[in-house]
Amino acid sequence: MAQRRLMMTTALAAPLLARAAVAQPAPAPAAPATAPGFYRFKLGQFTVTTIYDGFRIMPVQGLVRNAPLEEVQAVLAESFLGPADYRNIYAVTIVDTGRDLVVFDTGNGPQAPGATLGRLLATMPAAGLDPARVSTVVISHFHGDHINGLINATGGAAFPNAEVVVPAREWAWWTEAGNETRSPPGQRPNFANTARRFAPYAGKIRQLSDGAEAVPGIRMHAAEGHSPGHTIWHIADGAAELVYLADITHRPELIARRPDYETLFDFDGAAGAATRRRVLDRMAADRVRVTGFHFPFPAVGFILREAQGFRFVPADWG
Amino acid sequence: MTIARRIALAAPAVLIAAQALPALAQAPAAGQAPGFYRFKVGAWTITTVNDGFFRRPLEGFVRNAPIAEVQGILAENFMATDTLTVPFTITFAQKDSTLVVFDAGNGVTPAAATNGKMIANMAAAGIDPARVSHVIQSHFHGDHINGLLNAANAAAFPNAEIIVPAAEWGWWSEASNESRSPEGQRPQFANVQRRFAPYQGKVRQVAAGVEVLPGITSIAAYGHTPGHTLYRIADGNEQMIFVADITNRPEFMMRRPEWQIVFDFDGDMAAATRRRVLDMLATDRIRVSGYHFPFPANGYVARHVSGGVQGFVFVPAEWSSAV
Repeated sequence: MAQRRLMMTTALAAPLLARAAVAQPAPAPAAPATAPGFYRFKLGQFTVTTIYDGFRIMPVQGLVRNAPLEEVQAVLAESFLGPADYRNIYAVTIVDTGRDLVVFDTGNGPQAPGATLGRLLATMPAAGLDPARVSTVVISHFHGDHINGLINATGGAAFPNAEVVVPAREWAWWTEAGNETRSPPGQRPNFANTARRFAPYAGKIRQLSDGAEAVPGIRMHAAEGHSPGHTIWHIADGAAELVYLADITHRPELIARRPDYETLFDFDGAAGAATRRRVLDRMAADRVRVTGFHFPFPAVGFILREAQGFRFVPADWG
Repeated sequence: MTIARRIALAAPAVLIAAQALPALAQAPAAGQAPGFYRFKVGAWTITTVNDGFFRRPLEGFVRNAPIAEVQGILAENFMATDTLTVPFTITFAQKDSTLVVFDAGNGVTPAAATNGKMIANMAAAGIDPARVSHVIQSHFHGDHINGLLNAANAAAFPNAEIIVPAAEWGWWSEASNESRSPEGQRPQFANVQRRFAPYQGKVRQVAAGVEVLPGITSIAAYGHTPGHTLYRIADGNEQMIFVADITNRPEFMMRRPEWQIVFDFDGDMAAATRRRVLDMLATDRIRVSGYHFPFPANGYVARHVSGGVQGFVFVPAEWSSAV
């Protein structure tokens, strides 16, 4: 099945091949798009797939709330990232344990045609993954780019047969209207958005507390600050382990290297920074493989200590 | 209905029937995404195509450093320390009717081989070998020229002109140089004869520092082989450089540019060339692709100090769905 799907990608180029057969230096046709945005690796007996949900360009200015713009630009430049446009990137981690097919966060969901983001559902088939077969959706926290993809283009459940597992503290915050005035103004739309995105899953939502398992082999750990109930997830099969870091950093080229930076996405910037230092320090000490929602695709690698913070080291493609 | 009420209705946590889950999870395991990646340099469409990898013992790979030192740097990069995985990625550049491939890959290999994936990945990328107009060679080591032949030992790129560095051609096509070459490199003489054989009359030798095709310029980078050559690909204000084997895996060879590897023809010259070229790339912040870089094998070179050594680090360019 997956083979057939991959070949369909190739088939897009078929007219070119036919044309070339006629006469040799045929005028070269427009090249097909780049490879489908998925990447796969084994974790013990588990199969992990990361899927590129796309990107959104936003200004560098205003991104970091507690550092001068020039300093932020200098850090970005060290990673050959530009000074004006910040590319917010999104990568979804999917784990097939053999027993469960688990999607970690849902990406940006339905978008206008031609959008550069919200590609999860369209890309899953290329990776041989059927959204209807997803048994569990794990949500790290309730920011829009993580929950908007719970619904499909018609407003129904994007994962119709899935249970949705959420951090209890995140659920409690965003489902209590009385918290709205106690949230930063920029985060207040999350209350209505939470209601809307979870609506098709009534009766299928399970709240989890710190340290509990979502399914066998997948355990939640509180990592709060970025949002009131932000979580990271430990995924293990025997000795093989992976940590899904969710939004412990935004782009690691910037925020892993300067862990004390607070971004405009943070609910409680100071708490987020303290949590980030603690978690990254642990990841570096344990040399454990990680994925991250805003990591450069394919968004899998390791955390290394360096002078002023940490560096994300991408894993070898293979 | 208020927001809070609507959510409250959704809230009761009920597990879906446990027996429904295993049925859902019977996923046919699909393979890896096809190994190609595409980006633009001006009007050029660049495609990097993975040709698999070769795994060998680490022991003996670096000739002028203790293995423990090499292992230390590999470990810092979360790489294995007993074996070395050397990946292969081939760079293509297409503009109008020009379709260039820089080096020819490992070619046809046994089914179980870990290298020789280029042919399948080219197909996935929609690249037809018959449409390749030019093969441009950086140098003549086997992993770069073996793919000139197809399974029938005929031309794998039947409609292509082959562009080769004159210095490289001069060395390997003169039998009397054999005894003046390092022992490990002597099989190249016969291999060069064999791999170029189907291209009689279609091989063009080029000097260093010349435009070999409109927008593509040769840059001498001798040492790794007698005529090892890089190529600048430019259109308007945009450019990149295919840096071939200026380093083997950058994770350690950029960090320690003075290290010499078992494949170097003239290790001292290779190291001097490497430092000069990396310095230029870091200063000019030019995008590069490299033959043994981690896939998709394109990015930038930055200066980096470690262990008191002023070296460099490879910074992969960001993967994007937007070509």
